[in-house]
Amino acid sequence: MASLLQPDRVLYLVHGEKKIRSPLSTLYFCRYCSELRSLECVSHEVDSHYCPSCLENMPSAEAKLKKNRKRICNQLNENFRCANCFDCPCCMHTLSTRATNIPAPLPDDPSKTAMKKAYYLACGFCRWTSRDVGMADKSVASGGWQEPDNPHTQRINKLIEYYQQLAQREKLERDRKKLARRRPYMPLAFSQHTIHVVEKYGLGTRLQRQRPGAPITSLAGLSLKEGEDQKEINIEPAQALDEVEPLPEDCYTRPINLPEVTSLRQRLLQPDFQPAGASQLHPKHKHLLIKRSLRCRKCEHNLSKPEFNPTSIKFKIQLVAVSYIPEVRIMSIPNLRFQKECQVLLTLTNPVENITHVTLVGCEEGDPEDINSTAKVMVPTKELVLAGKDAAAEYDELAEPQDFQDDPDVVAFRKSNKIGFFIKVVPQREEDGDVTVSFKIRHDFRNLAAPIRPSEEGDAPAEAIWLTHHVELSLGPIIA
Amino acid sequence: SDKMSDKQSAQKSAKIASGAVVCVESEIRGDVTIGARTVVHPKARIIAEAGPIVIGEGNLIEEQALIINSYPENITPDSEGVEAKTMTIGINNVFEVGCMSQALKIGDNNVIESKADLGRNMILTSGCIIGACCQVNTCEVIPENTVIFGSGCQRRVQTERPQPQTLQLDFLMKILPNYHHLKKTVKN
Repeated sequence: MASLLQPDRVLYLVHGEKKIRSPLSTLYFCRYCSELRSLECVSHEVDSHYCPSCLENMPSAEAKLKKNRKRICNQLNENFRCANCFDCPCCMHTLSTRATNIPAPLPDDPSKTAMKKAYYLACGFCRWTSRDVGMADKSVASGGWQEPDNPHTQRINKLIEYYQQLAQREKLERDRKKLARRRPYMPLAFSQHTIHVVEKYGLGTRLQRQRPGAPITSLAGLSLKEGEDQKEINIEPAQALDEVEPLPEDCYTRPINLPEVTSLRQRLLQPDFQPAGASQLHPKHKHLLIKRSLRCRKCEHNLSKPEFNPTSIKFKIQLVAVSYIPEVRIMSIPNLRFQKECQVLLTLTNPVENITHVTLVGCEEGDPEDINSTAKVMVPTKELVLAGKDAAAEYDELAEPQDFQDDPDVVAFRKSNKIGFFIKVVPQREEDGDVTVSFKIRHDFRNLAAPIRPSEEGDAPAEAIWLTHHVELSLGPIIA
Repeated sequence: SDKMSDKQSAQKSAKIASGAVVCVESEIRGDVTIGARTVVHPKARIIAEAGPIVIGEGNLIEEQALIINSYPENITPDSEGVEAKTMTIGINNVFEVGCMSQALKIGDNNVIESKADLGRNMILTSGCIIGACCQVNTCEVIPENTVIFGSGCQRRVQTERPQPQTLQLDFLMKILPNYHHLKKTVKN
């Protein structure tokens, strides 16, 4: 039954700031801390920006540099939008450029006409075209399309500069206060505060890597900033008006032309203009998407780092939990009956190449992690041995099958790096809802990433450490 | 007895105009008239159960499209007092792959995109585009140049009508006879 393989049937507990229970396929494993990590206990960083339709890359460092260098605000780079691609203002699909042949007079000889190509934008989904809003056809295939200018751009930019300066000044004062108070412990306090605080007025999370034991650098940074911003920016306050434009006289009597009225979503996606009529909807450049990398908050190592190229789906660093931790899956469940012992068949898969020893332990009375179980479970007491994952095993005909001497009461079958084993479940509650059981799995883990210690003669194989995980299974409803 | 002879005369074979290209693998049942320059792909089905179907010129009916003049759901074929209504389809329409149309009246220059589903009580005027996978089963006349799209069957009006597929029709009329046998009408 495919429903038994649904990811949320088997949950692993992650010890982080919050106790999170989540399927192994969504978790990461920090092999420096030797702990499971979920998406909530890692920090997410933007790696690079790319356009989803033309797959053009724009590393975020370059985008920010451009923003600071050009005093004239380059709208495209500042807003993180693609220069070539447009979104349909009607249905938000990607617009494609189409060409038609129009007769046009030759520049040399006005009396003769030749066919010239004219380009226009069209949406394949809702059939919107750039001609609908009166945009003239362009003679170049790309680069000819301009977004209309916002009449308030200058005022907005000035306000942004003023508030950015204000935010920087406030931040300096705040940091200086902290500096004055806690000088000996300064580096740690400083870094924990400023790394994850989102700065005011949208400057974005700036990750400042503070190396411990170097307080001078932070001070140096502060004084430099002070030197730069000598220029004061003043803004005129906004003026309140008494009179508002009156409504048109035929406001209540004019019949509504429904196709011309824009929907809220169409309107709000163009916050500059928010047009009420569909004939004012101009296409906007496509928003860029990000590639994100994940970092363990405790040891600051990267857990997931994608490749730079937008067309590549591979990762440079991919420390996902399913490649390190044995995975428990439900294979078959008999009819579960209230207070009757039932035998459930589970599988354990070994993701690593060396032999792994797994011991299962039931949860004790009053275990603080065991909050969801509604049934008693009896797990096999003996240690289970899992063979290593061998990619070439299916092609190697001469390999002798390893003899593990499995107890047939415990181990149902064994297939390369996977075994099937039985657990006994006694549902304790008669209510509606799923029968949930939990137990702990304890396995040995060889840390291949451990720092190389100077070894005496003969490298000992990597030391094995024992890891314990709390696993919860959802077995389905009781059948009366 | 009048009714019996009427029913018998209605079981004629299709009347296919001389310029039309109708592949032999298509299924045409009942009293169907097909105009010139219309292309019917293999595996297309045109079924006139509850009345005749008249298809105009320059239409493009692609694979697995189903044009069916069927009885409404609550009426059985043999009940009394059922009139045979003719289904009319105009010129330059496109029925894309896998669509199903039961609409009794379709005008000109319409496009019914893949896997769209039209009910019997709809009337398409001209220049309408029924988007892919849209099921429309209302009892209304669709105004000209309407586009129905999206999972919620949103509507908007386009400023230009869809272009007639003349290039595609010419190409198909040249190429299809090289690979398929064609159905021809016996002229009386």
